[in-house]
Amino acid sequence: MVAGDGARRRGGHDAGARAVTRYVLRRLAFAVPTLFGILLVVFLLVHLAPGSPVSGAPDAGRRLTGRAAEEMRRQYGLDRPLTERFGMWISRVSRLDLGESFVDHRPVAVRIREALPYSLLLNGAALALALGIAVPLGVAAGGRPEGAFDRISGAALFALYCMPSFWVALLLQALFAVRLRWLPLLGVASDAAPGGAAGVLDRLAHLALPATCLAYATLAFVARLVRSGIVEASAGPYVLAARARGVSRRRALWAHALPNALLPLVTLLGLLLPALLSGSVIVEKIFAWPGLGRLYFDSILSRDYPVILALSLLSAAATLAATLASDVAAAAADPRVRDGTVP
Amino acid sequence: MTAAALPAARRPTAPLPASGRVALAAVVALWIVAALSPLFSDRAQAIRLDERLLPPSSSHPFGTDDLGRDLLARVIAATPISLVIGLVSAAVSLGIGFAVGATAGFFGGAVDLVLSRLIEVVLCFPVLFLLLALAALLPPSPLTVVLAIGVTAWPGDARYARAEVLRIRQLDYARAAAAAGASTPRILLRHVLPNALSPLIVSAAFGVGWAILAEAALSFLGVGLPSPAVSWGGILAAAPAYIDEAWWLALFPGIALFVTVSAYNLLAEGLRAATTSQGSNP
Repeated sequence: MVAGDGARRRGGHDAGARAVTRYVLRRLAFAVPTLFGILLVVFLLVHLAPGSPVSGAPDAGRRLTGRAAEEMRRQYGLDRPLTERFGMWISRVSRLDLGESFVDHRPVAVRIREALPYSLLLNGAALALALGIAVPLGVAAGGRPEGAFDRISGAALFALYCMPSFWVALLLQALFAVRLRWLPLLGVASDAAPGGAAGVLDRLAHLALPATCLAYATLAFVARLVRSGIVEASAGPYVLAARARGVSRRRALWAHALPNALLPLVTLLGLLLPALLSGSVIVEKIFAWPGLGRLYFDSILSRDYPVILALSLLSAAATLAATLASDVAAAAADPRVRDGTVP
Repeated sequence: MTAAALPAARRPTAPLPASGRVALAAVVALWIVAALSPLFSDRAQAIRLDERLLPPSSSHPFGTDDLGRDLLARVIAATPISLVIGLVSAAVSLGIGFAVGATAGFFGGAVDLVLSRLIEVVLCFPVLFLLLALAALLPPSPLTVVLAIGVTAWPGDARYARAEVLRIRQLDYARAAAAAGASTPRILLRHVLPNALSPLIVSAAFGVGWAILAEAALSFLGVGLPSPAVSWGGILAAAPAYIDEAWWLALFPGIALFVTVSAYNLLAEGLRAATTSQGSNP
């Protein structure tokens, strides 16, 4: 993606592809112990906590006693030693068997599959919103560092970064749903959901506030990253050369500086996933959105261990895969990454 | 290596920028409010059902809550809890982070490889997933909240400390100390730590802002401090139920939270600007 190395890249295509393969293999080798660490942390997290699922949270109001508790303990293997349970769990997970929920005795996979589309919709919308605004904003601010726009947007982004999402969510509800009545207060769709285009519009209206709440922190983070990338890249000789050839300022920024400024963003894209999921817990609770964040929070309150285990494992593994993918994308785009010259 | 090539033992320090000085004043003011808050605790606890959910007025500048308690007094009374929990959690996080990061950076090799994987593992989890699991599954207490925040936040500090120690241990004075026969703990404590201190203070200041937000999120979700302790997040937890009649319940505790977090983050940015040498990283 570095401007001006086209000839070299064409000439050394095979060598480049081999280097990428080597890099991918090395990253994969590092990912194996990380994955094991994730499995271990997830397992220890719920199994070392006092208060077994049989006794339940003190306020959960579904305490089991005597024979029923004994039966449940045996059924879920809670009477076995820790290492044995870890082994059993790993072997089940590797067969993609996530067990069944303590709460409604349905397979965990089914419960996750029910919540997943809502999460994908909300997180996808938030990510699109964040990137769609953050990149142009970062380019505009970084194009004239310390200019009026840079200073104002910098202060605004800093403020966004310091705002708790549950506060913003409540204020948006109070303003747009209660006072102005422009948007629905919560939920995914109206009870009497209209069909066709009106139905889509109804769903979009329900999506607007939660997606905004989830997006703004990521937006602030990405915009600051793009801005500093643009400032750094604009100082590069290739941008100066492009300007000297008569390329317009706008084109020099967007076509020459931006691709290089995006590289650090590509390597961080994987880490946006856990940040979004974190935000989902709060946003989905406030807006009664039946996604994974809500499912996780409910499972925590009811100590539904199989669901807690599955969700934390899946989210961490997904993050690992996403970081891996973004590292590989960065390595494919920039030879300096796979050479180790740029972290 | 001539004597002239030896770097200065400490980085040059510029004065705190204006925004940082304002932030420092705000942080000091907040701690003064916290110190004076016991004066308001009676008023914060006075339940008056004939005055429930009153909008802001001259007698109740922030309005009243669902039990008729004065919201301004409640927000003031919650100040020390939010500040202290934030500070202590950030200290726990910095302690774990520095221990892990400095060890990885100083020893390198296999130690670094293992500890770096550990950092990576923790970073893979959504922060709030870990926080919730720890805060809700351990018995509710201030210690649980502090530990939960510290145990989830440390990887950031660790990465910072690792990079810093890695940089310093290759500088001439650290190598000279090693050549002169100084022991490893001595090099770490006498030479590396003092020089890594200023970036670590910056990291800690950011950490306090983050920890205050984390505590507020936990209390808002109902798994924070056990009652009767009330933090800003705990006051906000009552807001959703009355969102269609009492907007002030949501607005004012959030402003306190926002001002505090901004002050700490702005102070951190100011400290960073003052401690990084001119021109290297604006």
